[in-house]
Amino acid sequence: MDQATTPQAEKELLDSLKVAIVEIDNERAREAARKVITAGIDPRKAISYSIKEAADEVGKKFDCGDLFIAHLVMVGDLMDEVSAILEENIPSDQLTKKRIIVIATVQGDVHSVGKNLVSVVLRAGGFEVHDLGVDVPSFQIIQRAKEVKADMIALSSLLTTTMPYQKEVIEDLTSMGLRSRFKVMIGGGPVTREYAVQIGADGYGKDAFEAVEEAKRVLA
Amino acid sequence: MKFAGINQGGEPQTVFAHERERKRPPMISLLDIAERTQTGEKVEDKTWDMCVFQTISELVKKYDLKFPGNCCFINTDDALVERAFAAGLECLERLGICCLTTRRRVRLTRDEILTAIREAPREILMGEGRDQRVWKQRKVEGRERLNVCPGHHSPYTEELAPLVVKNFAQIPRTDFIEGFNFTKVDGREIIGPPLEVYASRRQLGWMREGVRKAGRPGLAVVYYPINTRAEDLICVMDPDHGLRRTDGILLSLLPDLKMEQDMLSAAIVYEEYGSFKLSGSFALAGGFCGGVEGAIVEGIAKPLAAMIAYRDYIHYTGVEHIHTLNARQILLPGVNWARSVVNQALNRYTNTICMRWIIPTSGPGTEISLLEIAMQSLEAPLNGMNLYAPRHCRTTVNHGQTPFEAEWMIEVADAAVDQGIDRQTGNELLRRIAQRLEGEKPAQGYDVTECYDLVSHKPKPEYERIYLRVKDQLKEMGLELS
Repeated sequence: MDQATTPQAEKELLDSLKVAIVEIDNERAREAARKVITAGIDPRKAISYSIKEAADEVGKKFDCGDLFIAHLVMVGDLMDEVSAILEENIPSDQLTKKRIIVIATVQGDVHSVGKNLVSVVLRAGGFEVHDLGVDVPSFQIIQRAKEVKADMIALSSLLTTTMPYQKEVIEDLTSMGLRSRFKVMIGGGPVTREYAVQIGADGYGKDAFEAVEEAKRVLA
Repeated sequence: MKFAGINQGGEPQTVFAHERERKRPPMISLLDIAERTQTGEKVEDKTWDMCVFQTISELVKKYDLKFPGNCCFINTDDALVERAFAAGLECLERLGICCLTTRRRVRLTRDEILTAIREAPREILMGEGRDQRVWKQRKVEGRERLNVCPGHHSPYTEELAPLVVKNFAQIPRTDFIEGFNFTKVDGREIIGPPLEVYASRRQLGWMREGVRKAGRPGLAVVYYPINTRAEDLICVMDPDHGLRRTDGILLSLLPDLKMEQDMLSAAIVYEEYGSFKLSGSFALAGGFCGGVEGAIVEGIAKPLAAMIAYRDYIHYTGVEHIHTLNARQILLPGVNWARSVVNQALNRYTNTICMRWIIPTSGPGTEISLLEIAMQSLEAPLNGMNLYAPRHCRTTVNHGQTPFEAEWMIEVADAAVDQGIDRQTGNELLRRIAQRLEGEKPAQGYDVTECYDLVSHKPKPEYERIYLRVKDQLKEMGLELS
């Protein structure tokens, strides 16, 4: 810590970074992140406190209807930017690797709202998320999961007739000998926890917030 | 503010066919739309989504759309309705529609939108013989009883399907019935186009069988797509065993003004065949349109876009919220109000035939569900909407609805019409029901066979007791139920 940085000043700096992220003030957030570095504060503290607290607060505001999906996308972008500034100053052997999730709406289904919501909430929850979009075939999902060395594959489906494609991904993973490499979480309007158990998924999220908790639980 | 050539809130303009041909350019054709989906500018998903958010946020400010406060469930500010319509129109003009298949933007001119608004019909004839019905656009605070679609848009198992259809067709006020989804057909899991095509045709087979068994063979049925691939949408066209020219199909635009080429292909085919088309045209507050004010803008733009892109003339319209659709909360401030503004605007300035999709956060067989349905059904006549398919927002197989919720929906809406409730009185009633629902949590409810007897077409005794209790509560609140 810089000689001039008292615990009080450190808290103020970390709080100012948090507030700038919650208010989606990009310029102020970048500046606050740089100040954290200049002040000699451990950047890992800023990640574990400012960014995490900001994500929690944004989640609460979304839950209350004060923020919308678009805001979550913007917050996600900003958190990536701020994290990059902070991580530049952390020795590579001390960097905490984010858990990686590949998410998609399965083949034959073009519904995106639920998947988008889960995607942004997972991102705000501290995961690295690769969103492949809608109507994505099983092999494409698996291929991408291999490429980015994902920890988890999250699959959404709104139609009862596309739910079997969630099962197909799990079956393909098994037949390719990759089942143990990726956890699989499923969700979507007609999908239930019973169905998740039935097809051998590792997790199920009834909604976006439950999905984040479930992802944390499954990947713990 | 003037919207040249379209209704200004008065009686419908009468335009004779020959006059229409001479004076007015035709509505933009579906083939024009098809070309634009191939030639429009490329747009990435995220760019589009954020552009929707930015544009709508600007329009909310420009047109000064603001929720007046928690006690407002029904809008009574006509000047606001006018501004909201102008915002919706400008939204569609500025954004156009995003084709999800080609990732291209379909641009529309203001003239093209206004022409489409003028050309759209205000009534749709459906069904055959003595089961033929006319679906109409309703008036705000209208005094005519509403059109009714009692159910489906919900998954069932194949054992129950024909019996459920029969039960919905037995409701005397039913004007059409929508289809349903299912996971298995002939005991096989439905996966891939061949099984989807077969399942689609089975759905129509069961629908036709169900209405025949109810003694209403001519009753219009609406195909609920098993999937949105073109082959699944078109394969049901079959006057003998499937979709007749007098039946309909659900071809919905996706949220955030997104369309699909497969849907457009089906729209082109059905336009020639003659079937009417429906669209899910509500906006989703909390999504990329923003809050309830932004949802008003999308809620007005979306049915107009669906009308132009797919020739949909009947729409379930208004505003829902991500959190209520997910059954996280029963009521959220401003959602009812926003829905009210959207429908009043569409009724006042367009021919859009609006329906209220009754979508409680609680499942069948519960007191909360009946209260939610009462609240939503009351809104319909006040805002000029017909009644559409009450079902649990988190419906799962055999768990979405029973015919009893539909009968309750009709009973409440009829009482409001017969009592001559206006927007002010309606607002007060809604406030009282909302007060009653305060602090309640969405209730999961029961499977259809647990709370309803499909053989004798009546609710199970416990459900009937709940119904009588809710009815008493509403009477005390001031609704004159029999």
